[in-house]
Amino acid sequence: MSRIKELQKSLFAGTTSNARQFGMIFTLVAIVLLFQILTDGLTLNSSNLISLVSQYSYILILAIGMLMVIVAGHIDLSVGSIAAFVGIVVARAMQDWSLPWPVAILFGLAVGAAIGVWQGFWVAYIGVPAFIVTLAGMMLFRGGNQFIGSADTIPVPEGFKVIGAGFLPEVGPNTGYNNLTLLLGLLVAVAIVVREWKARRTRREMDADVAPMWISLIRVAVPIAVVLYAAFRFAGGRVGTSFPISGIILGVLVVIYSFITRNTAGGRHIYAVGGNARAAELSGVKLKRVNFLVMMNMSILAALAGMIFVARSAASGPQDGIGWELDAIAAVFIGGAAVSGGLGTISGSIVGGLVMAVLNNGLQLMGVGSDRVQIIKGLVLLLAVALDVYNKNRGRFSVIGSVTRPFRREAPPTGPGSNVETDQEPAKTPVAG
Amino acid sequence: MRKYLARGVAAGAIALLALTACSERSGDGGGEEAGSAKGFAANSLIGVALPAKTSENWVLAGDLFTNGLKEAGFQSDVQYAGATSTVADQQAQISAMVTKGAKVIVIGATDAAQLTTQVEQAKQAGATVIAYDRLIKNTKDVDYYVAYDNFKVGQLQGQALLEGMKAKKPNGPYTIELFSGSPDDNNSGVFFDGAMDVLKKEIDAGNVVVGSGQKEIKQTATDGWKAENAQRRMDSLLTSTYSSKTLDGVLSPNDTLARAILTSVKGAGKPLPVVTGQDSEVESVKSIVAGEQYSTINKDTRNLVKETIEMVKALQAGNDPKTNDTESYNNGVKVVPANLLEPLIVTKKNVVEAYANDPKLAPLTTGAK
Amino acid sequence: MSDAPVLLEMRAITKEFPGVKALSDVNLVVRRGEIHAIAGENGAGKSTLMKVLSGVYPYGSYSGEIRYHGSESRFSDIRASEQAGIVIIHQELALVPGMSITENIFLGNEPRRGGAIDWKSANRQALELMARVGLREDPDTLIKDIGVGKQQLVEIAKAFAKDVKLLILDEPTAALNESDSQHLLDLLRGFKQRGITSIIISHKLNEIAEVADSITILRDGKTIETLDIKADGVDEDRIVRGMVGRELHSRFPDHTPKIGEVFFEVRDWTVRHPISADRMVAKNSSFTVRRGEIVGFAGLMGAGRTELAMSVFGRSYGVYQGGQIFKDGQEIVLKSVADAIKHGLAYVSEDRKSLGLNLLDDIKTSVVSAKLSKIADHGVVDQVREYKAAEGYRKSLRVKAPTVDEGVTKLSGGNQQKVVLAKWMFTDPDLLILDEPTRGIDVGAKYEIYGIIQQLADQGKGVIVISSELPELIGLCDRIYTVFEGTITGNIERRDADPELLMKQMTSAKKAQIR
Repeated sequence: MSRIKELQKSLFAGTTSNARQFGMIFTLVAIVLLFQILTDGLTLNSSNLISLVSQYSYILILAIGMLMVIVAGHIDLSVGSIAAFVGIVVARAMQDWSLPWPVAILFGLAVGAAIGVWQGFWVAYIGVPAFIVTLAGMMLFRGGNQFIGSADTIPVPEGFKVIGAGFLPEVGPNTGYNNLTLLLGLLVAVAIVVREWKARRTRREMDADVAPMWISLIRVAVPIAVVLYAAFRFAGGRVGTSFPISGIILGVLVVIYSFITRNTAGGRHIYAVGGNARAAELSGVKLKRVNFLVMMNMSILAALAGMIFVARSAASGPQDGIGWELDAIAAVFIGGAAVSGGLGTISGSIVGGLVMAVLNNGLQLMGVGSDRVQIIKGLVLLLAVALDVYNKNRGRFSVIGSVTRPFRREAPPTGPGSNVETDQEPAKTPVAG
Repeated sequence: MRKYLARGVAAGAIALLALTACSERSGDGGGEEAGSAKGFAANSLIGVALPAKTSENWVLAGDLFTNGLKEAGFQSDVQYAGATSTVADQQAQISAMVTKGAKVIVIGATDAAQLTTQVEQAKQAGATVIAYDRLIKNTKDVDYYVAYDNFKVGQLQGQALLEGMKAKKPNGPYTIELFSGSPDDNNSGVFFDGAMDVLKKEIDAGNVVVGSGQKEIKQTATDGWKAENAQRRMDSLLTSTYSSKTLDGVLSPNDTLARAILTSVKGAGKPLPVVTGQDSEVESVKSIVAGEQYSTINKDTRNLVKETIEMVKALQAGNDPKTNDTESYNNGVKVVPANLLEPLIVTKKNVVEAYANDPKLAPLTTGAK
Repeated sequence: MSDAPVLLEMRAITKEFPGVKALSDVNLVVRRGEIHAIAGENGAGKSTLMKVLSGVYPYGSYSGEIRYHGSESRFSDIRASEQAGIVIIHQELALVPGMSITENIFLGNEPRRGGAIDWKSANRQALELMARVGLREDPDTLIKDIGVGKQQLVEIAKAFAKDVKLLILDEPTAALNESDSQHLLDLLRGFKQRGITSIIISHKLNEIAEVADSITILRDGKTIETLDIKADGVDEDRIVRGMVGRELHSRFPDHTPKIGEVFFEVRDWTVRHPISADRMVAKNSSFTVRRGEIVGFAGLMGAGRTELAMSVFGRSYGVYQGGQIFKDGQEIVLKSVADAIKHGLAYVSEDRKSLGLNLLDDIKTSVVSAKLSKIADHGVVDQVREYKAAEGYRKSLRVKAPTVDEGVTKLSGGNQQKVVLAKWMFTDPDLLILDEPTRGIDVGAKYEIYGIIQQLADQGKGVIVISSELPELIGLCDRIYTVFEGTITGNIERRDADPELLMKQMTSAKKAQIR
């Protein structure tokens, strides 16, 4: 037992981001393999992987923003409506004003930003709870969608569809695979090696213990194997299909936002505000600005997600975005974020989202009806979080905790062993006069 | 420990190579022409993607497809969109059917304009796409359309409305209100246009007056085909327009809305107008027998499903499936060959004969006459 | 009084928390119909004793015996003690602001008829109870619409609704102004006439001397003495002697101060309470700090020391009303915490857990959290510099943790405090304000913290130490200001500082004559 724990620690609980990535892929593989068996190999089929990515990329993009919102201690219920609103506005703009599609995308992001300013203003500067502001936003922008679209479906031009239904093009010699996708896989593989090497160098510069070389090798070899495998799968799909553009957008956002949340002062401030707002304020963090930016960022990402969905559907409709906020929130919590804020990572949320996506997809491939899929998804969400809470309360081994610990920013105290303070007369509330 | 890990990595690498060796690109060539003439194996998978279970007809259709396809020797995968995220769900379901290698995919679209990508995907994988009841728009990749003739449905509704009002009150002018279906459903406009094709003449001649003046489809639309929306609109019409005037008739595109309209009128304590309907829902058939709702349309789902399965069988055998209209149904990109079935108007007079063969509805009609 | 029958006797009460003996062999005898005061320094065990009595700490969690009405009582919870007629009114009032006076009085105790609440009878009874405590208000008035003094009366009325025999008041006048306090004290005397026994815990020794019949003094969880106010001729000085009477032993590292020029000065600082507009938490307070000097702020709980410090630290408490801050002869305006940090101020809060640390963080993240710019280039955190900085403090402050990746929740109170100190040392401050820097920390760690404070002073920084422990201030500080009700009442050099003098200054509004 202890040796397994040690190994687990050295593989997963290192401080480098690589270790975190490693742990995540491990979780997902278990679920993927389960469905791979249950669906007779359809799950890892090229075309299924491709549709999986393009079907869920917009939900995962929402999960990125939602993670930051939840870490800061808020919630955003309006993302689905904002997505639908921006979708219809952009579709309308292209139809009525013949806006070229790249301009239309920028326009959509600007509309998202404007909505974000609106919501951020109420949350951060007026102090209305985000739950209320975004509940209002949910109705407001759903109504806006129907108002602008006359509750109708508006088609979008062919060029715009690239961001939702486009693929990496075919270039170079005929290798039987999509060359660009293979190249992309190779780049990611190189990046994995570089990051591990950099992480080792960082540890050495810190004068901290550097993990043994063989652990580094595993940490590099396994993800690379998965990445290359995936690259071949994606590159080997039907001619004309390959790795979806929406997946690339998602990947870029994941890299950028992981960096922001983990490595920048701004990212630190989000965690500080969510972990202990008053302490953050007394450390010089500008509370209002952080809350404002987090809410605004969410709206921009919702706008992007909405446009990707519209592009994929080739039209913006009145039912776009319904229920998306719940999918995004579920992804974030399955990914190990705390309801009270201050905990959670981008990569964890992506895993959470992928778990739901693979579950959904696998069940659909098995021909399970959407009613039962909903029931199963609901139970998985509840059980995953409940088991985690239960085990944490008992101070026992926590399944999700152990899997997501590498993604967490330090788990909260566990029962026994947490020190009891020695104040005999419990201090009165600090600033009671 | 280290040894095991090393072995594991090696094994993983081998597995990786083995798996990546098979590209799906090789087997794709045949897909393109498979759609038309050659036919396919008799026990192939047929996918059926239907909207959320919001009306009895969709539930019935699903059951009929499951059983009918099984009897015909096919494997079937019948899916309904979830109640909340309908469009996204249906998109995912169609993708899953393509992945599973369905040869024909029958789609009752939730939003007929938002399935382009999936239909294209299906087509390229070599599947034939049949639009069921609702025409899929803006794509060249839909092969056939099978439905009741919805323009005809509208015409019949318009005629029934006029006849019903005449039977109650021999001379006009008649005051009516117009309701149409969900604006995102392609059929809503077709029903409405059909009905207006009949009613327009009378309105222009002054025999029929739309009390509220709301004659445009946008004004009369009912979001999401939801009863509550129709009831709400009727409530406000009664308050705004009919506090003193009498309402003679209401054009309702389907039964659910017809009953909502009647509920609203009853609630206001007004005399019941002549109300049309469609779909032969159980409650509406009861209502017709009781003399409240005036008419409905029998678009027997059994026939439509049977006709669809016949088309699938024809495709399997490598024949061209039956079509009877190759001109009217333009989806924005191409004219889709359609197989149209004739609807039947049902009023209290012919209700017994109309449902004689329907095991569920026939017992309900015994009270009539 | 001393011949009246005994109502309550607590015998040899001992209550232990993990690692700490909060009460050891405490005895308390309260006679029927008297007003009995309990006095002691912060942390002496007064509140713990009352919690034992009222069943907050149930029978079995302490040792000793409670005899009430002549027989042994074993209260399992507050409800049980309330049924016996013992009602405790806490410092923080337990009223629901959005409910009316009547609703609050009968909360959880509503008169019913059938299944429903009988509001008519409730209102009638409420008016009777309000008359008994001298509260003239419409019983339908919401609690949030009446002042603190009247709220206090509602609490007492609520106690009467429960048929109180023994009324316990914990710091009842701490939040009240002069006239409200006087009214309350008169009320207590009135209760005495009607045979109700009261126990009053108060820091305001003048009030005790005025209203109480007898007094029990606690110190370090032990009973020191019980005095009859009149028979023993007890005055404030006598009580102070009892409260602080411990000897100062050498709990402090040897230190020779190197004091320089005055570099930090606050003039006429006035701050309003954030909610109640007529309450000033700091009134025209002026003080100075010299380089290399450790300046103490002494005062009782609620005197306004923390409020003063926090308001100076970027107006992080209350509403600024007036006053100036000078640093190195220049006036500086600190409108936010960020401003304060930029100008070299640091404030280590008295409440590590809720104000000082993000308990989800690890050591290194905590240490750098107040000045990320120092380890970040263009907003990007340099993990190597972060790690090295934190590691440096871990070693120099001897934080007991294997690495700086350890979560702060896993640390003991003393080590958490070191992390908070490191966090503020990392901001390179010129002036550190340390609010109760040794609260809840064991003796060994205290010694280390004192050492750190002295080192900081020796580096030429100014240090302000706010503490409720007088021996700590006397042992550590070069100079001590006393604070009473938001006013600075004394400025005492180290050589003059003794507990009795300080206690006197801390408990009366009279300005000290010694300069």
